[in-house]
Amino acid sequence: MARMKTPVTLCVTSGKGGVGKTSIAVNLAFALVQKGQRVLVVDGDLGLANVDVLLRLSVQRTICDVLDSGADPLESVIYLEESLGILPASSGVPEMVTLGPEEQAQLGEVLTSIMSHFDYVLVDTAAGIGPSVLWFNRFVDHNIILLSPDPTSFTDAYALIKILSRDYDRDYFYVVFNLVSSEREGRQSYKILEGVVNKFLDVDIEYLGAIPQDKVIHKAVREQLPFVQQAPQSNAARAVFDLADRIRMLKEKQD
Amino acid sequence: MDQFRELQESCPLKNQECPVIDELRRLKEDCKRLQELSQTDALTGYFNFRYLLSALEGEMERTQRTGLFTSLVMIDLDYFKQINDTYGHESGNKALQWSTDIWRENIRRIDIACRYGGEEFAIILPGTRLPRAVHVAERLRIALADSPVELDGELVRLTASFGVDVYKGRENLSAKAFIERTDRFVFEGKAKGRNCVCFEEKEIAVVPTGVTDEEKKALFNNPIGLKSERDNSKGFL
Repeated sequence: MARMKTPVTLCVTSGKGGVGKTSIAVNLAFALVQKGQRVLVVDGDLGLANVDVLLRLSVQRTICDVLDSGADPLESVIYLEESLGILPASSGVPEMVTLGPEEQAQLGEVLTSIMSHFDYVLVDTAAGIGPSVLWFNRFVDHNIILLSPDPTSFTDAYALIKILSRDYDRDYFYVVFNLVSSEREGRQSYKILEGVVNKFLDVDIEYLGAIPQDKVIHKAVREQLPFVQQAPQSNAARAVFDLADRIRMLKEKQD
Repeated sequence: MDQFRELQESCPLKNQECPVIDELRRLKEDCKRLQELSQTDALTGYFNFRYLLSALEGEMERTQRTGLFTSLVMIDLDYFKQINDTYGHESGNKALQWSTDIWRENIRRIDIACRYGGEEFAIILPGTRLPRAVHVAERLRIALADSPVELDGELVRLTASFGVDVYKGRENLSAKAFIERTDRFVFEGKAKGRNCVCFEEKEIAVVPTGVTDEEKKALFNNPIGLKSERDNSKGFL
């Protein structure tokens, strides 16, 4: 008998902006879809959306409309492919950044109501450590901390892990490095982060992979197309496919 | 009375003097006065215990909905029994009025000052974080300690012990439980020697988002070195 499956929910988050959250979230979604999964991407940057920009979407309804005027959340999902839905957010709506508890509860209900149609729900959070970022991080099952090997990105990612563990009871984080010059740099950077986290925080972190700097990424962003489709043989795309494989193992564990 | 003018004009005979309307107006005035009485403490003019409970419940609900914290300050006058025993109950009452008048001048219009019972008081500070509430309590403590009252021709210095706590809406808590939780800090203040403000120190000592210098050092003073490994020749632009 088929049992009702709950999707794997993940968020890509970083503290610092400009690390590549949206790009990685979108390409990871495409990679998972290519492997036969149904994926919903939620633009968690509720006030300054950019998933739609990255994908050249023409947005009719957003999360904001769902919350404000009760638009049907399922109808707000834009399907790029049969198994790839995008729930877009609004651009330039500052109220959405400071979600109050009541709106958070409402958002939780909305997401829960549409989640069962997918195998994966991937939230691309905003930068910073604002209420919506913290809320999405608590809402999902798995937190992917994305960082680049820059000192500021390190500090912000560490600060985010610290807040989530101390104030919001999260105790397991997946770490992905973006914009590395080599796989080796990714691993070495991870070792440093792991050392500091183990020394100061009571949480476990797990290395999930590294995405190399690659010209195709910039080109894809400018052309508003996913690089896993534009250049599937590039180093960056191959790294994202590897990442997708590891994430599918999370689902196997969960099921 | 302006608020009852409509009533006056509602006489079907359009009489200026209408005994029925007059009676109705008196009843309405009585009702309003009784309503005020039912939620006010006669001696101090503060809200009474019943009002404290319902107002605090309301504010805690607001916290759950808006995320704005509600702080509570509980106050107990020090050595009040001795004042009663030494100077008599009338002086005791005077001490209560004296203290509550001073505190009233030192809180905001939105704060809700209540008599909890006997010589104990509660002040609800809506939309207020703990450090701010502690600051207010400290101001109330100093204001009272600096203004001796004249009892029986004698200048008497009054002091009180303060407990402060905050409700952040993260847990389900009744108004009563919140009061009791805050009251524990009053007992702590009594044990510490009175005339002081007690609260959960660790709530304030920790900066919520702080990455310490030690942590930063560990992140950057590593043997491998983050930068050295980067192969910049491969970078774009």
